[in-house]
Amino acid sequence: MDNALPAASAPAAVDLAFTVNGSPAKVAVDPRESLLDVLRERLDLTGTKKGCDHGQCGACTVHVDGRRVVSCLTAAVQVDGRAVTTIEGVEGPDGELHPLQQAFIDHDALQCGYCTPGQVMSGLACMAEGHTRDDAEIREYMSGNLCRCGAYAGIVAAIRETARRTGH
Amino acid sequence: MPTRRNFLRGAGAATALVGVETVGSPLTAAALAGDETLRQPYARRVDARDKVRGAVQYGADHVPARLTHAVPVVATIGKGRVVEFDTTAAEAVPGVRLVLTRIPPGELRSAPFIMAGGFAVQGYQPMTSDRVAYRGQMIALVVADTLVAATEAAALVTARYETEPFAVTLDADGTETLLQATVIPRFPDTVMGDADAAYATSPVKLDATYDGPPQHAMPIELLASTVEWQGENLIVRESTQNANAVRHGVAYELGISADRVEVISPSAGGAFGQKNSFQMHLGPLALAARRVGRPVKLVVPRTQTFHAGSFRPASRQRIRLGADRSGRMLAAIHEIDAQTSRHDLFPMQYTELTGRMYDIPDFRGRHQLVRTDAQTPGYMRAPFEHIAAFALESSVDELAYKLGKDPVALRLANDAPTTDPISGHPFTSRHLAECLRRGADRFGWVDRRPGVGSMRAKDGTLIGWGVAVGAYKAATAPATAVLRAESLGRRRCRVTITVDGHEMGQGIRTAITNLITGNLGVATEDVVVVVGDTRGVPPQHSTAGSWGTATALPAIDAAMGKLREQLGLRPSGPIDLPAAMSGRAPVELQARTKAPGQPDDVWDRVAAGGAAGAGPEYPAFTSMSYIAHFVEVRIEPRIRRIRVPRVVSVADCGRVASPVTAVSQVRGGVIWGIGATLREGGEVDPRFGGFLSASLEDYALPVNADIGDIDVSLIDKPDPLLNSVGVKSLGEVSMVGVAPAIANAVWHATGRRVRRLPIRIEDVI
Ligand code: FES
Ligand code: FES
Repeated sequence: MDNALPAASAPAAVDLAFTVNGSPAKVAVDPRESLLDVLRERLDLTGTKKGCDHGQCGACTVHVDGRRVVSCLTAAVQVDGRAVTTIEGVEGPDGELHPLQQAFIDHDALQCGYCTPGQVMSGLACMAEGHTRDDAEIREYMSGNLCRCGAYAGIVAAIRETARRTGH
Repeated sequence: MPTRRNFLRGAGAATALVGVETVGSPLTAAALAGDETLRQPYARRVDARDKVRGAVQYGADHVPARLTHAVPVVATIGKGRVVEFDTTAAEAVPGVRLVLTRIPPGELRSAPFIMAGGFAVQGYQPMTSDRVAYRGQMIALVVADTLVAATEAAALVTARYETEPFAVTLDADGTETLLQATVIPRFPDTVMGDADAAYATSPVKLDATYDGPPQHAMPIELLASTVEWQGENLIVRESTQNANAVRHGVAYELGISADRVEVISPSAGGAFGQKNSFQMHLGPLALAARRVGRPVKLVVPRTQTFHAGSFRPASRQRIRLGADRSGRMLAAIHEIDAQTSRHDLFPMQYTELTGRMYDIPDFRGRHQLVRTDAQTPGYMRAPFEHIAAFALESSVDELAYKLGKDPVALRLANDAPTTDPISGHPFTSRHLAECLRRGADRFGWVDRRPGVGSMRAKDGTLIGWGVAVGAYKAATAPATAVLRAESLGRRRCRVTITVDGHEMGQGIRTAITNLITGNLGVATEDVVVVVGDTRGVPPQHSTAGSWGTATALPAIDAAMGKLREQLGLRPSGPIDLPAAMSGRAPVELQARTKAPGQPDDVWDRVAAGGAAGAGPEYPAFTSMSYIAHFVEVRIEPRIRRIRVPRVVSVADCGRVASPVTAVSQVRGGVIWGIGATLREGGEVDPRFGGFLSASLEDYALPVNADIGDIDVSLIDKPDPLLNSVGVKSLGEVSMVGVAPAIANAVWHATGRRVRRLPIRIEDVI
């Protein structure tokens, strides 16, 4: 037991207020909790996926104030007062798909679907950032999102087409 | 505080179990595959709508009330035993409910290995003894109210060990080498004629050794389970390819009846063989859930999956190929040493491919298992075929160069078009030559300059063009299909199919939907497919070995035949089921099919949770799928980075049951091949044991920017013998041959024959 660490007492909970998909949220979080775990385990927003918990796969990508972040490496306390958008907030109020979601279907940009929420969130950001000048640029700026099934060609095609159609 | 559902915009809650919705216009085979065949309108991927909304529920997406969280503690020695645990600090963490260390006898027993007639990914259940069989093995499990508390407490569990020497590489001291034919007699070596004599007298001889690294499947969905006791019954939510084995495995370990376990796995977030059996975490997790009296969720951390999941074993292959001066292959000797664990014998089948890829009259294979201190290896996509093709097809390329022959022409000249050289029986169908011809055409092979280093871009980039072929068994397993037809008025009829099968992203729901809409004349949106759920009649036999489609579809086809008969409709040809069912009470019936020649007692095996796949050899024939890959590599002039800007792949998988998903399967397989050739090498540490490259940073998967154009074409000729639907296999054959096609292109570009994967920059400097 020579390498036993002293037991840390749980840090005090922190009250957070932020918006998720346009609705206000108030949660008391452990300062060590990731945004990803708060979304999934506390707010039941399980569309955002955990693929590594280390910022290496992109499955957990969400938007904070309109910019993409990996929510596994974002401490939940960092989003106090901010606006978080998850995959559940992408479709319209009556459930109509965002054009990029429709393009993912049209170009079969997925297989198992596990990386897909993160790909869609990254794809939206990729368009908003203007990183869609050509396929090579889309590929580069989508390379933080692993797809083990290998649906990359469809993902690039979906983003390319949506960017063109929506004027990005 | 708002309720949880407030955050869900629009249609809201995730669609459960059978979320089959379809949008978009019908596609055609021609539009997708560039194929001229056009038989019927095909559905797009039927579960895509739920997937782009994040609405599909995978194993860890269930958040029941009173949920607790489990985090494993893993061994930090290469091998030995745990002498003592200190759990005091862990237990003191607020919110911790249980620190489970060594499980007392009588509470949990080790389920047998799936390839030894059992259910489990390995025949050794950690935590049922004081053993540490390998570094990274689970030794304790912490359950707490929150994930942070469980994570903190898991880090505070300490163990005192007694260490033992260990071996983690094929050559290490302390390994044990076993002749497979002796230790697993039901996996004998393939021998035809006298290969040693024929090789000795061959005018042209090649003799080389090829090294394959350990590789890890790494589906993006982690190994994860949410378990919940409801009275005496256990509900398991876990993404799997084998709900039947999960059910029977956990029941066996706990000593309860399998009837008391239900496994719910509507969709897996990728599996690739890693999720094909009962996993090591589930027994302890179910026990923990019973002790704490609450549902428990375990998401195995990514770094731990490198030791918690099975893997493609390290291999060394010596291949000797003899030919005459015209390039006619006369003899092949293929000897393989590959890794297994101390506790299991993982049967290898490398020569299943090499013995029948070409018409080689004299052949000898030999498999040796090398025991190492690791978890038991497993069936990672194209487990043997991928690396066997690397050896064989690199040798064939070498032969072509040695004789000054075109690599495509040499392969065509050695084709075995009709007869399986191993069994002497006919192939059910084999369109390999057409794959090669069509591929050469689509790739523009005629423009290839054969000389090594002869194709260069203006900036000095080296260009290489390579070709290789692959094959994979067309296996079949028993399946039960339950069909329910229910009139929804004069024009609509809902057809619900429950069948043995699992959706891992390969598109089985879409293939099934296409079969039903094509046969019964019902609309895509009126087809409901239930797979991966033990709560129905079909036991949910494993979906692996690329047999999913060729297993589920014939059973459904038989059920549809029965339905036609029961309704007095003609046995084949178009029918109007909605009209026939209008005004009638719902009809429910079932049918079951098994592989050609399988005995009736196979149903007992399936009912007991066992694996029962058959093929490629059936009593009267052999059935395989085929593929040809054409690859261009570009090697940057200064830093020598190897890129693959374009690939052309042509596959013969029998009838194409679902063009949309089939094309995607092949692309995915090619990307797996690119990863396996240029990126993925599991590094082991001979000093400390275990896998060193245990993260997605150190074990690099192909990213979007690594992938160029992949042109996929499918022969789409129904197999006339294997089953009533004419489908063979696809998911794994798509990867076979990519590695040698890349390696052969690297040779063409550089004159370097790389015989070890992955090929790295230093190999071409
Ligand atoms: S889970 Fe966040 S990047 Fe992988
Ligand atoms: S669709 Fe399976 S990981 Fe991307």
